[in-house]
Amino acid sequence: MLNLIQTEFLKLRRRKFIWLMLLASILMPLIGIFYFSASGTAEISPMKFYKWTAFSYTPWIILPIVLGMLCTMLMYDENQNDMLKQLWIIPISKMRYFFSKFAIVFFYSICFMLFASVGSILAGVLTEIISLTADSVLFLFIKCLEIGILVPFAMIPVLAVAASQKGYILPVCVTIVYTFLGFILLMINMYIHPLSSMTAILVRNIQGVDLIAPIHLGKAFLCIGIWGIVSTVWANCMLKKRK
Amino acid sequence: MKILLWAERLKLKRSKILWITVFSAAMVAIIVFMQGQFLYNGQRYVDQVGWYMNATQSLGSLYVFPAIIALMGSYIICREDQDDTMKSLALVPVDLSKLVGAKMIVIAIFAVSIYAFVYIITLVVEVALHISLLDLGTVLDFAKIYFLEGIGLFLAISPIIAIVYRLKKGYWLALIFTEIYSFMGLFMGMQSTLRFVYPITAVFCVSGYYESTPVQFVISMLSLSVCGTLSLMILRGLNKKHSM
Repeated sequence: MLNLIQTEFLKLRRRKFIWLMLLASILMPLIGIFYFSASGTAEISPMKFYKWTAFSYTPWIILPIVLGMLCTMLMYDENQNDMLKQLWIIPISKMRYFFSKFAIVFFYSICFMLFASVGSILAGVLTEIISLTADSVLFLFIKCLEIGILVPFAMIPVLAVAASQKGYILPVCVTIVYTFLGFILLMINMYIHPLSSMTAILVRNIQGVDLIAPIHLGKAFLCIGIWGIVSTVWANCMLKKRK
Repeated sequence: MKILLWAERLKLKRSKILWITVFSAAMVAIIVFMQGQFLYNGQRYVDQVGWYMNATQSLGSLYVFPAIIALMGSYIICREDQDDTMKSLALVPVDLSKLVGAKMIVIAIFAVSIYAFVYIITLVVEVALHISLLDLGTVLDFAKIYFLEGIGLFLAISPIIAIVYRLKKGYWLALIFTEIYSFMGLFMGMQSTLRFVYPITAVFCVSGYYESTPVQFVISMLSLSVCGTLSLMILRGLNKKHSM
């Protein structure tokens, strides 16, 4: 398994575009600069600033779409270059193959959120919108790490769809619809969709966030777990069907 | 040109991509309907006349439809290179500028068709929910908004499709660029001046979703015209490069 993960990391060196996608992590900090500068409020608390730059659209929309693209790319490139046949000849276990891809998505997600947290701090401090405090910085890093760990688990269904397909059109469309659905369901029921459940876990200790109902962590983890397990089993079946 | 359009239609018929995009558009309609179940002041959003038709086009245009149009567009325009059929077409010989022109027309028709499809779904739901409260003026007004948004979004996204075609093998770029581009529209819409200049929100102004003065309307039209001209210039430059 470790060899597979190592191979996946080595393959990443050839994919420059994946590293370019990391730039999407600083999109919200940049928008935050314009938003808070234009609002002209004298004093903005670090938490309010971070809520905008790192805890809102980044985990709800930007990171899931970027990870969805990454999942599709990781699977599609091997199909396109007809490498899968060679991998099956070795033979490599279908599940190990699937989890080696997941390991890349997991690592990438953490890097993405760490970039977002550094971007948020720099955007706030360099423009003097916020003042730096140790507590707020520590909270930001822990929260970003939390997001970076949780979102890949919520994106397992998309990885499973990407693994089951030879093309890229369906996984990409599924990514967009899946993310949009998770975003909309936030207001209706947080325990149906993994991305909504991820948000429930995320906002549990963020001050000033009002939700329609009390947060139930057990239900949120159960939702992510069930979707993850079902998707993994399905991906295994679909990979076994493919010759 | 007629033959090229016919060939493009046949190619699309063989591909599953149309069904995938139809599925995505239908899913958007379903998701917004689910959002409509949310209570506000003791009343469901979807119970307000016109809310569903309004929310579907605005949410869809900011989050989903631009990405789908860009994906479909980049697929249609780049597939000859991707499938390595460009060499065979060059042997026929097919005029590259006409081929790209035909593909752009197909993408425009596709953009309008997506909006027409979603319009039909939302209209059926609105009729089913409030047939007695729905008047013809509202229905026709939304038909105009949906139709113009289809054309407008095609124009707004066309430079990205053209750039992707120029870059070659950058289908992912189209999607990422378009998603960020349309997502930025969410924030540009908050600015009183920029909303009429930024192409994605300019579409809302041209379609009549945003209230605008004649000057603002002209600015939005200019913004979309610039996008269309830019994509034509990029594709024209490419054709010259190929013909050399």
